[in-house]
Amino acid sequence: MALSLVWSSVACSSLEDYSTSQPAPQLPQETTAPAAVSSIADGAYPVQQVTYDDSLGEYSLILLNTAPGQSMFRSANLPLARLTDEEISAGKLSELRVENGQPALYLTPEYVHNVTATQTDPQTGQEEVVIIRQEPSFWTPFAGALAGQAVGNLLFRPQYYMPPVYRPGVALVGYGGYGRSYSEAVSRYQARYQAPPAEYRNRQFRTSGRLRSTSGTAPRVNTNKPSGSGVGNSDLRRNNRRTERARPSNGGFGSSRRSAPRRSSGRRRR
Amino acid sequence: MGLRDRFNRLSGQTRFVVSRIFVHLSGRDVAPLLGLLNRSAREVVESEGDMQVLGEQLARTCESLLEYETFWQSAANEGDVIWDEGEAGDYINELFTDSAGRYGSAVDLASDSGEGFAIPMTQNVVVMLAVAFEGEVAELETNLADISALRAGLKALINLSYRGTLRAIQIHFSPAQLGDELTTDQLIERFPELIPL
Repeated sequence: MALSLVWSSVACSSLEDYSTSQPAPQLPQETTAPAAVSSIADGAYPVQQVTYDDSLGEYSLILLNTAPGQSMFRSANLPLARLTDEEISAGKLSELRVENGQPALYLTPEYVHNVTATQTDPQTGQEEVVIIRQEPSFWTPFAGALAGQAVGNLLFRPQYYMPPVYRPGVALVGYGGYGRSYSEAVSRYQARYQAPPAEYRNRQFRTSGRLRSTSGTAPRVNTNKPSGSGVGNSDLRRNNRRTERARPSNGGFGSSRRSAPRRSSGRRRR
Repeated sequence: MGLRDRFNRLSGQTRFVVSRIFVHLSGRDVAPLLGLLNRSAREVVESEGDMQVLGEQLARTCESLLEYETFWQSAANEGDVIWDEGEAGDYINELFTDSAGRYGSAVDLASDSGEGFAIPMTQNVVVMLAVAFEGEVAELETNLADISALRAGLKALINLSYRGTLRAIQIHFSPAQLGDELTTDQLIERFPELIPL
């Protein structure tokens, strides 16, 4: 399921105004494994739209003021922080800040913008404006959080957040888990709901090869590749950077004749 | 390496190990192993990659490999000690892609028999296991292209899976199922790192 964190790049309208004249553009649904994060230079980039896929825990952002070709930004486990009241009154909008290669998303506590449409009532033939409740649903992590609260101060520093459990028809407000580290956010979520979030469970479950197809449906090509199948999962965090390791590295081990034999340092192994 | 280990340990960092093992079995009666491997894989898929299920199936796969020791023909392994979790995650992810690249999902036109009653029984099976874990396991952090070392390594993997410190588990095998073949040519081309035991 994909969730949208929606902000418009125009100045905020009053909080009572629930309608937008144009619906925010929907990002295409991702069905494949998330692509590696596109590298982006340090800086602050206003955000036009964010989509959060809770099956993968992946954020997809459309950014402004980026170098050409870099306006789409993807990342798993993006830390979130709330813009301070000073920043908001100074006119700052939601933005992605990248410092030393580490991204963090700073958000305004916007209320949900529902999309309106004009429908014709079949009975009366009259036109009326209705608010559409639709998939994907919208997640406002910082709505309702008051800056005066003690907990509120933590909101201004980037932390990891997970949306609350999805219930049909209920707006996703607030968060189901939070923490200074990703695993802390997962633990808090688990403490609250007695189960880890979907993105954690699905995290990096990968399959390959012939597992899901029967011989009748597999494509037939002329190839010298043998058939095979594979499964795997991991709950390790990822930097999403190509590992620049010279394989095998100095600390590595293995059967390769090129690797240096593992030096025994004289230290006793436990 | 010893000094760096000590330094990292003192600064309270977690020691991650990423390791991949290739086991090549050969002989007239290796094909039934594919049935076991497929059953394991299916359990994992049905559980949607649940780590506990994966751990159980890893243990089962290692036990099967140990039972098939008389068919062991060649092996290989690689791995590293990593002190940054993100780097370990990237490395294990690259290993999955690399392992999956050794085989394809397509049915080879040339090898697909289709007609006749004879089902080709593969003479070769390769199993690729990859794990990431916290801590240190000497039996896995060494050259495993040796029968007794490989035996000890697989047993250590079984123990690890019960200990619950595995952070990543991957199980690949080729060919995919009974009736498919892994030929000697494909073996040499797709798994060049294998070393005869």
